[in-house]
Amino acid sequence: MSDAARNGPREVRFRGGGFAPKARRGVGAAVFVVLILLVEWGTRAGVISALTLPRPSDVLATFVELWQSGLLFTHLGLSLSRLAVGAALGAGTGIAVGFAIGLFSYVRAGLVPLVAALFPIPKIALLPLFVIWFGIDEVSKYALIAFGTFTPTVVATYGAVDNVDRSLIRMGQSFGLSWLSITRKIVLPGAMPGILSGLRISLAIAIILLVAAEMLGAQYGIGAYILEAGSLYDLERLFAGVVILSLLGVLTSAAISWLERRLLRWRV
Amino acid sequence: MTKLNRRQTLGLMGAAAASGLAAPALAQNTRAVVGALSLTSHSGSFIALERGYFAQAGLDVELKFFQAAQPMAVAIASGDVDFGVTAISGGLLSLAQKGAVKVIGGALSEEAGIDGQKILASDAAFQAGLTSPAGLDGKRFGMTTAGSSFHYMGARIAGAEGVAPQFVPLQKVGAIVGALKSGQVDAWSIVPHIAKPLAGSGAVHIIGNVADYLPDYQVTTVFTSADNADNDRGLVETFLAGFGMGVADYNDTMVDRLNGDAAVDEMVQLIHKYVYTDRPLDKAAPSIINGSMRINRDAAINVASVRDQMTWMQAEGLVDRAITLETFLDTSYVETVGA
Repeated sequence: MSDAARNGPREVRFRGGGFAPKARRGVGAAVFVVLILLVEWGTRAGVISALTLPRPSDVLATFVELWQSGLLFTHLGLSLSRLAVGAALGAGTGIAVGFAIGLFSYVRAGLVPLVAALFPIPKIALLPLFVIWFGIDEVSKYALIAFGTFTPTVVATYGAVDNVDRSLIRMGQSFGLSWLSITRKIVLPGAMPGILSGLRISLAIAIILLVAAEMLGAQYGIGAYILEAGSLYDLERLFAGVVILSLLGVLTSAAISWLERRLLRWRV
Repeated sequence: MTKLNRRQTLGLMGAAAASGLAAPALAQNTRAVVGALSLTSHSGSFIALERGYFAQAGLDVELKFFQAAQPMAVAIASGDVDFGVTAISGGLLSLAQKGAVKVIGGALSEEAGIDGQKILASDAAFQAGLTSPAGLDGKRFGMTTAGSSFHYMGARIAGAEGVAPQFVPLQKVGAIVGALKSGQVDAWSIVPHIAKPLAGSGAVHIIGNVADYLPDYQVTTVFTSADNADNDRGLVETFLAGFGMGVADYNDTMVDRLNGDAAVDEMVQLIHKYVYTDRPLDKAAPSIINGSMRINRDAAINVASVRDQMTWMQAEGLVDRAITLETFLDTSYVETVGA
């Protein structure tokens, strides 16, 4: 005799909830606050020496000073324009080349080895060369950031194009859609999630390269500010600059999240 | 075998301890790590090591090489290196303020009558009329970083001429050389063993001497951790004794030429083990000889020049105004000049 027959119908709990992460508001902020309070307490109590870490309240004071002197906006304005121009150039050509590699076999055969060869080159090592090619003014900074964002964008883009659902493309072909139509209506939207997550990485690399780009000949800019603070061993200014870079990272990441919500609405 | 009773044993132990104490502290072989850059201005350390002066003084020295002065200062602060020789910079002052390092003596100096650091102009700027430091107004002056010795020299030269150049940070000496040759910066100042070959190539012109603007400029100093300076006098004195002997040899042979040409050749060979190691000796020798500038005898320090550098950095807002000369300078070890 079966159990169900003996005890009557049994209620079965839904067990397929999956591991979907849920939003937990405030936890991220709490981690930051606890860490900062710990450092503040440590530096005040003398557990952490002035040589090891600056006091967070001093960093904040330095930041406020920078704000009030108006220099913050000079630094930020220049750095943001370098980031914007460099990343737009690098990511723009990167997406175009990545698409070409994904769509055309000849381009793929020709460019994939080249991209693989360019990717691991430390762009900072080429800085002196960039100075000879482009001078020590803005152009070499744009070029360095563009070069640094180009290769990861290419790789992410052609990977995303390769991953577009084949059955959708076959369906389009069966229905007699033109090549252009398939590319525009199936490949482009299908590759978009991969391209955007690739952009997240490329833009973070652009921010990292900003400091390298401002090593040569920059009198203003967040990177130049950090380098100057480092050479003066001025930890408060160093950390104020690093915090600005972190905030830039958070902002670009948020901007891409916003783009994802807009462009990937179809993905339910 | 003779048997010792307890009293005799104790007596012997006491005698052994006493003889140990009686021996001069200098004779004990202690280890020390000395930071250096591959520049002729560090020859004092090279000679003292090669000719056994450190060992004579009772110090077992290991040289550690750095690419720039700044990491060396940080390594001393972290305790990885015991002694270093480098230019006074904003970074060094900040580290001293944080209680990490202390300047204990002087090294390279500008001196009237001896070829010192040169003021350079790029060929393009020279052709356009930058033939003396008076023409620096609005020109691009190269420097490694803000608060470096190049920044100080450039600012003081410009101040004396009443002009205002722009200071362009390029991080590394190599980058400045490249920028100067290609005319992307207009002017720079540098030690003679780099300046002269550059000027000889025609891409760059010498337009003045730093010594004319900053006589008795204390270019580099000897420094150690604040802990060593305050708590380990024996170690510091031992180091300075060995270093002083190396410096004396260098001055006699390379600067004052008291020992004849053969001695110069021999010393160039010694220095070549550490400086310009990538070039053959016959190519490196002229540069090493050209680079001979006075290193202060017995590491004496020019306090007036050090004070001027500190007040300039404070006036520029590069370092905290609260720093006093006493926080970073310990004058108890060496003679002072111009105090």
